[in-house]
Amino acid sequence: MELVKELREIQTLQGHTDRVWSLAWNPATGVAGIPLSFASCSGDKTVRIWEQNPSTSSWDCKAVLDETHTRTVRSCAWSPSGKLLATASFDATTAIWENVGGDYECVASLEGHENEVKSVCWNPSGSMLTTCGRDKSVWVWEVLPGNEFDCVSVLQGHTQDVKMVQWHPTRNLIFSCSYDNTVKIWADDGDDDDWACVQTLGRSHLVRWQVPSPMSGSGHSSTVWALSFNASGDKVVTCSDDLTLKIWGSDDTKMPADGFAPWRHLCTLSGYHDRTIFSVHWSRDSIIASGAADDAIRFFVENDEQDGLVDGPSYKLLLRKENAHDMDINSVQWSPGEDQFLASAADDGTIKIWELTSDSC
Amino acid sequence: MVDDDIFGEDFLNLEANHQKEGFDEGYRDGLVAGKEEAKPTGIKTGFEVGEELGFYKGCVDVWNSAIRVDPTRFSHRVQKTVRQMGELIEKYPIMEPEDESVGDVMEALRLKFRAVCASLGVKLEYKGYPKAASEATETSF
Repeated sequence: MELVKELREIQTLQGHTDRVWSLAWNPATGVAGIPLSFASCSGDKTVRIWEQNPSTSSWDCKAVLDETHTRTVRSCAWSPSGKLLATASFDATTAIWENVGGDYECVASLEGHENEVKSVCWNPSGSMLTTCGRDKSVWVWEVLPGNEFDCVSVLQGHTQDVKMVQWHPTRNLIFSCSYDNTVKIWADDGDDDDWACVQTLGRSHLVRWQVPSPMSGSGHSSTVWALSFNASGDKVVTCSDDLTLKIWGSDDTKMPADGFAPWRHLCTLSGYHDRTIFSVHWSRDSIIASGAADDAIRFFVENDEQDGLVDGPSYKLLLRKENAHDMDINSVQWSPGEDQFLASAADDGTIKIWELTSDSC
Repeated sequence: MVDDDIFGEDFLNLEANHQKEGFDEGYRDGLVAGKEEAKPTGIKTGFEVGEELGFYKGCVDVWNSAIRVDPTRFSHRVQKTVRQMGELIEKYPIMEPEDESVGDVMEALRLKFRAVCASLGVKLEYKGYPKAASEATETSF
């Protein structure tokens, strides 16, 4: 018996009048009877909130967040409680929106970046926020009572535009990826707001206190666009303009809570894409989805038929969906909740909701 | 019969001697010109460093005064960062421009300055600050 996977399109959502850059599922939805919901952001300077209608199962736009950002909204992220939405814009600001009974109110605007903000994310507890941008810096903010935000630290180290920041799911680590072809890992040195780069994953990635390792040369050779952690947080996948996906791992579980286990290159998935890979997302049941400039969505899973202990893990293509959109796919994101959907956002201005079905035959 | 002198040592060294003479002359001129050039460059660089440090010192003094007036209006983090900025300005080896730490101290000051401004929600900008991406004007995604 073999499981045949098929990607089924549920709905195409129209509303944005320019390319859709990114989307984020509200993590507090899809459970306990709360209908699934997500936010999308666009070159049309707006953010839209979409929600699944429980009776018809169709997706509707519930709110349009406009007249705040004056340029493209590039990235959005929900706080873990789902109460706050952060949106990062090319207008150099990051706006914080509060959901008050279905109405969204802009309660704060974080200013500090010199120019375009490219990505925003929350830490797992929702007490901190991280932004990055074209000014090559990564900013760490602390959430204070009364919708006040303190700037904890401004991190410099990348030599080019920083494309995305992500907080590690369990550790106090920030991962950032950049146009300088590297991924940097930042850690808080103690209780003194002293964030510093502890490792750079690049063509020759160095740990600050280590001599160059034999792993040198395994990094990306062009812009790293996105990264995503697996459910347990011991692996991270990165995607790049060099047409590859790379999996990195750490012996995290063996480390004490405040220790840092260096990350190393585990494997490279090449030969599957022939255009830039803009987005990658690891589902909680271990399926990697990628969205690329060739308008296709691909799915990868770990190849367990092979002896993974000798060569390290390897991954195989599970499914390829050609022409998923009419233009470049900028973002793919798995939903939370019992029924897992995939949402994709593209340059064609649409968002599509998909379901990955498995039929036994 | 050819005069011995033509192939004598002086003749053979003609090129080398001229080269040496030219070098010495050039070196003398270079020393003078270099000193003249260095003076305005030194004045300019020194002035720039002083101006930037002075700008931060001015901000720190005003913030410290405000903190003394009403400490409750400033978060502990802002108070601490302002204090750290003051320490960095004190630490800056202003009389030792060749000290290798100058760049690090100035960079740390710039980052802390940006952090305080962002936390306070104020838009202060040191006019001479070298912008990270000012040279790039093309569209970037």
